[in-house]
Amino acid sequence: MLAIETRGLSRLFDGKPAVSGLDLKVVQGAFYGFLGPNGAGKSTTIKMLTGLLRPSGGEARVLGVDLARDAAAVKSRIGVVPDGLALFERLSGPEMLRIHGQLYGLDRTTSARRASELLEALELAGEGAKLVQDYSHGMKKKLALGCALIHGPELLFLDEPFEGIDAVAVSGIRRMLQELVARRALTVFLTSHVLEVVERLVTHVGIIHRGRLAAQGTLEEVRASGSLEETFIRMVGEERSEAPGLSWLGPLRSGADR
Amino acid sequence: MRAKLLAVAELRTRLLWRRFLARGGIGEGVARATLLLLAVPAGLAFAIVLGVGTFQAVRMPGGLRSDVTATAVFLGIWQSWTAVSLSLSDREGVDLRRFLLYPIPPGRVYALGLASGFAGDPVSLFWLLLLAGVFGGAAFARPGPWLLLLALLLVLFAVATALYVALLEEVLSLALGNRRIREWAFVLSVALSVGLIGLLIASSDRPLRAFARALPTLRVAQWVAWPGAFAASAARHLYAGRLEPSLPWLAALAGGAGVAGRLSFAVALWQARSGGEGAARARGAGDAHLPLPIGGARGALVEKEVKCLLRHPLARISAVLVPAVAAVVGYAVEPRIPEDAGEVVRALPLFALAVYTHLALQPFWLNAFGWERGGARLTFLAPLGAADVLWAKNAVLGLYSVVLFATSVLLLIVSGRPAAAWSLPAAAALHLGTAPYLYGVGNLVSIVNPKAASFAVRRNASVPALSGLAGLGVLSSVSALFSLPVLLALRTESPWVLVAGWVALGVLGALLYSRTLPLAAGLLGRRRDELLPVVCGDDA
Repeated sequence: MLAIETRGLSRLFDGKPAVSGLDLKVVQGAFYGFLGPNGAGKSTTIKMLTGLLRPSGGEARVLGVDLARDAAAVKSRIGVVPDGLALFERLSGPEMLRIHGQLYGLDRTTSARRASELLEALELAGEGAKLVQDYSHGMKKKLALGCALIHGPELLFLDEPFEGIDAVAVSGIRRMLQELVARRALTVFLTSHVLEVVERLVTHVGIIHRGRLAAQGTLEEVRASGSLEETFIRMVGEERSEAPGLSWLGPLRSGADR
Repeated sequence: MRAKLLAVAELRTRLLWRRFLARGGIGEGVARATLLLLAVPAGLAFAIVLGVGTFQAVRMPGGLRSDVTATAVFLGIWQSWTAVSLSLSDREGVDLRRFLLYPIPPGRVYALGLASGFAGDPVSLFWLLLLAGVFGGAAFARPGPWLLLLALLLVLFAVATALYVALLEEVLSLALGNRRIREWAFVLSVALSVGLIGLLIASSDRPLRAFARALPTLRVAQWVAWPGAFAASAARHLYAGRLEPSLPWLAALAGGAGVAGRLSFAVALWQARSGGEGAARARGAGDAHLPLPIGGARGALVEKEVKCLLRHPLARISAVLVPAVAAVVGYAVEPRIPEDAGEVVRALPLFALAVYTHLALQPFWLNAFGWERGGARLTFLAPLGAADVLWAKNAVLGLYSVVLFATSVLLLIVSGRPAAAWSLPAAAALHLGTAPYLYGVGNLVSIVNPKAASFAVRRNASVPALSGLAGLGVLSSVSALFSLPVLLALRTESPWVLVAGWVALGVLGALLYSRTLPLAAGLLGRRRDELLPVVCGDDA
């Protein structure tokens, strides 16, 4: 069964296509890496699949439900860490998690218990009453991940979860995600620029370039004989000529100087 | 150095221009132009009144009337200028932090920011017109070289008040930006209010009023408003033709302006270099449960709104400002209303307070999503009804408004005179009855014209100019609607007609609100593509 299926999904901004005719297929239980250069349409796609943005055309089914018909039924079954996060900065971390759980239909006691467990797991338990606005970027990302997990979703959307955080935090989040997919049969749909991390995590890959799907399949199918980075650059990379001028920055060093 | 400052000026001009060209920019431009057009006739009207008053004061110098006019004019302008700048004015401040990277002395950038902020604010024209009215009245009354000193006084007063406001904004930003100070300030203000209410309840023969009048500190308190007090003292001497005694006051005004400017810059620079609140770790479990009678997602929404509202600097300023205004009105204005003016007229300060409380809280009902930032995404990500989201916002703000109003009414009564039996239910009916109209329209304005609002007090960037204009329109319309029963009550000389009329209008408003809430919710769903990039800051 497919966790995500789109047909001809499109989105225009001021008449210009950001995503065009996207046909995605993500099987349940997959760890799907959705890759693309800046401005390729990754975040726009996630926003359309999670109800943050209306598609201009096409269809999208998430967990077997047509998003256009019953978005509410989908929302309670998915967890999302959107680009820019979805945190209320004037709440403390524990408050944010607990209230988030209640907004997804959990009762207060269950939500508080899960919040406490998640804070321990995400190594945020010692932050006490500190408001979210005082959290570092990495802590906010971890908290957002906790929010996305608290109601026990079947499908997790993560938009650039590793962007702007240190190696220790990346390692912690990566370990947690691997465990979730392996042991709890969660489907994860993730976008990222950090190809080496993605390559170690995902089972399936989709590459989007200029709003169109350039490749899709299992990791092995897409990267064929090379590395994921080589495949990615071959598909979306552009040759760049040497910058002209800039002589005022000083003379160029010869090969021996370097 | 001139080239660098010109570059800063060009940068600010370009950013302002781009903002007008951006989405919704034309509407903002129209709103600013309209505000300017409103400021001119209103300023001219008030300038004429002040001019006539000054004319009489200069013609009859040295008397009580002349002194009272000078004091009222300068302290009045100072008070309005300060209050409007801190609550309503959409002045663009310079963010010093952004300019620390450049090789330009921060003092010059700050001065340029203050000057351009003053020049770019349509309300500035209003203040300048008032001062021009004072000068005009004096010039007609007694032409002569002394007018040069008066002109100097007016310029110094304007500069000193602008710098005083800047200092106040910086200090408030510092105090309210530091969580620990904020918490204590809030606790202190609540304790003071509760203490006063306790005293009121405990006293049967109104000893509090006599106590307040006996307070010697009240006379000293006028020097808190030093720009107005210094200027009034200098003006009294100038009106009486005593030029030399006015000079120390002029010097004090100039010195005060210099000190205020220097201090406000020092605080701004300190804040810019300190990099925000820091990572001080608050103690405690971090999840203060609110016992609410509402469960489920609605209860969670209400709890979130309560916590975010109570932790908002503007809400805390309102908690101090509105009761303070009520106390001043009760002490200074109410006793001056003649006894024979009639019960309805004597209750006008109470009714004005009912509407003023809504005005003070208008950033929250006119830009309901402005402070949500990324949290606004949750409105659309979570399985929530948009109507529940709007209802929770309105309900929490309404409750806060009622508490604020009730506290202010108590202070008004404590510092003024006893209210007529019918006037309290009437004021409650007015406050509660106008809320559904204001919040109903406010929901639509918040959805159609949102703005990512700053938590910093000094930037005053809480409501877009167009929304401010819409707020002015709806407040005026609702006030006009609710004034109809007043006319009926005056004609029938039956105040209870007023209560009945306002209750009926309130019920009608509640019905209209409940009917339009689903429409507003539908609009919120349809406008998510436009709303989210703005309030989450993705547009920046």
